[in-house]
Amino acid sequence: MTQEEGRRYVLARAKERGIAAEVLTEMGRELTARSHQRKLEQITQAVRGGIGVRVVVDGRVGYAYSEELSSAALDWMLQEATDNSSLQAEASGFLPKSTAVTRKDMVGDSLRGSLEAKVQMAIGLEGTIREDPRVKQVLFASYAEREWDVAVTSTEGADGSYRRGIAGLMASMVMAEGESRKQGWDDEWATSVATLEPGRTALEFTERTGRLLGAKPLTTGRYRAYIEPKAFGSILAAFTPLWNSKNVVERKSPLADRIGETIASSLVTIVDDPTLPEGLAGRPIDAEGTPGRRTVLVDRGVLRSYLTNSETARALGVENTGHAWRSYRGIVWVAPSNFFMAPGAGVTLSEGVIVAEVLGLHAGTNTVTGDFSVQALGLKVEDGRVAYPVENFAIAGNFLSLLKDITAVGNELKWEYGMRMAYGTPMVEVRELSFAGA
Amino acid sequence: MLAETLVSDVLARAVRGGASFAEVYVERWKRRQLRVLNNDVKEATSGLENGAGVRLFYGTEVAYAYTNDLTHEGLLDVTDNLVRVKGQAGKVDPKGRGGLDFRKTASRGLHDPKVPFEEHPKPYRVERLREADAGARVAPEIRQVESYLQEWEQDVLVANSEGAWVEDRRVRTRLYVNAIAQENGAVQTGTAWEGLSVGLELFDRFPPREVGKRAGGQALTNLRARPAPAGTFPVVIGNAFGGVIFHEALGHLLETTSVAKKASVLSDMLGEEIASPAVTYIDDGTTAHAWGSSEFDDEGAPTRRTVLIERGILKSYMVDRWGSLLTGYKVTGSGRRQDYTFAPTSRMRNTFIAAGETPLDQLFAQVEFGLYTKEMRGGQVKPGSGEYNFGVQEAYLIRNGQIAEPVRGAMLVGKGPETIRRVVAVSSDLSTASGMCGSLSGSIPTEVGQPHVLVSAIVVGGEA
Repeated sequence: MTQEEGRRYVLARAKERGIAAEVLTEMGRELTARSHQRKLEQITQAVRGGIGVRVVVDGRVGYAYSEELSSAALDWMLQEATDNSSLQAEASGFLPKSTAVTRKDMVGDSLRGSLEAKVQMAIGLEGTIREDPRVKQVLFASYAEREWDVAVTSTEGADGSYRRGIAGLMASMVMAEGESRKQGWDDEWATSVATLEPGRTALEFTERTGRLLGAKPLTTGRYRAYIEPKAFGSILAAFTPLWNSKNVVERKSPLADRIGETIASSLVTIVDDPTLPEGLAGRPIDAEGTPGRRTVLVDRGVLRSYLTNSETARALGVENTGHAWRSYRGIVWVAPSNFFMAPGAGVTLSEGVIVAEVLGLHAGTNTVTGDFSVQALGLKVEDGRVAYPVENFAIAGNFLSLLKDITAVGNELKWEYGMRMAYGTPMVEVRELSFAGA
Repeated sequence: MLAETLVSDVLARAVRGGASFAEVYVERWKRRQLRVLNNDVKEATSGLENGAGVRLFYGTEVAYAYTNDLTHEGLLDVTDNLVRVKGQAGKVDPKGRGGLDFRKTASRGLHDPKVPFEEHPKPYRVERLREADAGARVAPEIRQVESYLQEWEQDVLVANSEGAWVEDRRVRTRLYVNAIAQENGAVQTGTAWEGLSVGLELFDRFPPREVGKRAGGQALTNLRARPAPAGTFPVVIGNAFGGVIFHEALGHLLETTSVAKKASVLSDMLGEEIASPAVTYIDDGTTAHAWGSSEFDDEGAPTRRTVLIERGILKSYMVDRWGSLLTGYKVTGSGRRQDYTFAPTSRMRNTFIAAGETPLDQLFAQVEFGLYTKEMRGGQVKPGSGEYNFGVQEAYLIRNGQIAEPVRGAMLVGKGPETIRRVVAVSSDLSTASGMCGSLSGSIPTEVGQPHVLVSAIVVGGEA
């Protein structure tokens, strides 16, 4: 059966059994074209989709999903979800009362273009990257597009759907100069194919990595830090769980019970906005069918809100911000959409270290404590100018202390994208940060 | 999992369209996950995943497609599309007329579970997770305990235009415990986990209470720890999951994924001395019930034990079919993928540093001041520059050859080829641990392992 038939089938079966149910379907499409030696090396074309259900039986919540849309598989799914719900001790679970929201097609013609033209973008990207004599190898250079169609319906009135897509360029190359070798690993995403610029993007990629060649060791010490958008965006992304109300409710966020407190420098304003027109991760509704809206999380240093869904909003006694997140294979969680730090007046270099890239965030950050220690690559700043690249060091501290120590915020916002979430940040200047090196 | 005639039709269609090699990968997963927080079930979920990937080679060019639509029309459509993309560029093969004579191989059950999932009802699992929860509460400072159970059953069929037809079944279970300790506003965490290619006998191999106790003990240790020092020091890396350092600093650099494109700093170095003579490094996909084991890889090749480095000399890379095509190295049964949505690449299975001869106390005795990293978190590497990092979960200072006070929050960073030359001594207490490894073909179960190892100098990212 089709996904729509599948949703109707499951809801009808749930109603027959007197079970409250919410069904989410997703159909994803992928096109990736990879170039090597200026020829198409690998092309991936695909569709993947499935159906996920959340049931509430006597206040107990259970989940299950299936990629097979036969009645046997869907019956199994509903039975498993019901069995799973019986394991819960808490009996306060519920599905949010909701209403229908008009379907929104956010893709339109934005991904239109011949396959040949898209393949040429990957080849063009690689071609320009290879023009830099310092480039020794290109591991891959790709054009990619992703599109997904999401629909949520429930026995409690939820009924909404949207179609969303993005296109991007990505590459990894090894650059060398003398004995020094550096590997770049970059991507650039846009809301439409037409706005991608393989030539310019290639130059940005080679510039970003090329400037790190010939790096010297950095002496251990405390330095003023200028964290570039790409690096700060990935740090911010790693610490978004601090604003996740699920973690707040479960006492796993250092921001618990701190609404109204100053948690950051007055230069810091953090917002999540699924309605942002230029946002890579915009969406009209969340995974429970709640309409998305702009939420100010930190206003000039003061903690104003968490990201919530229906369950956590009720537990905390606050408004639902519409940040329920779920893939059909997962459970209802909380996640940002277009999450960004507002730009400021600008940063002027004086003395310190530019942090150009951070690595190992998945292993070097602790969202329960806010502590981090991560590998970094950067450039030494002396007398207001970039003096030389530095390597083989780590930066360490606590994310909330870092937010308090921000002394200047850049005036240009740059976006990072991953897992259907987008993170925007300007450059930030941090009074002092611990650098471990030679 | 799929009718032989359909598979045969797909392969024939591809070869007729000019592909030099065609492969069909069909997969069916049943997964269950359970999370218990402070003794109560928070979420329980179950799922079925079902899909196929079609991979065509045109010389060294690859076309890949995947779909959930496993009907005859669905799969032939996908294949025709791929052939169209290539614009019949290859040589048309009139022999590709279908009716392939498959050589059928099925797994022998080397890693079959002794206690299959259906042997116990769901509440049995909840009780085991509650034991983990109880075990973690080693002191009143432990305020929160969270435990997870993952159960995976994966059935795989790989068939290709060379007539291979391989069916494999992989069953895996993993238990994960997080503990949070709190005292006077200070908060610290501890984690412990165990995963094997087994069913519910995981709980017999690793009693949940013991796993919980490790997580709780670690959270408590971290609560008492002060920030790690910053700088370059000698480091004794703990056994078992400590092997993640060589997984990052060495293992990824030996996959043909990077080696074939000379995008690894260790490309073209077979037979050369690349590591300290104390290092013998092995990737073994055959170890019974190990987390990263399977009887066949995701290209249908039998897995094997591959000696990568013997006493410092590079003996082999990890080679998948495509890597073999590009380099001429023989396939090592290392083609792996997260699921049908990824084309396979060469990946690690169960990779470890072989036991050495230095007694453990003599390892520490050589260090006047340094770091002992007892438990590690994950890491990352750039194969093209060899720059790697990995996080430390539990660590102690070493003073005058003795393990001294605990320190927390350090990340170790370095360059792989430098670090492997700086291995001073390897102890004999080899042990292994489960992990998830992410790379071009997705996130896959891999085991890492080693005995205690002394490295003369690594950058420790503590507080300056």
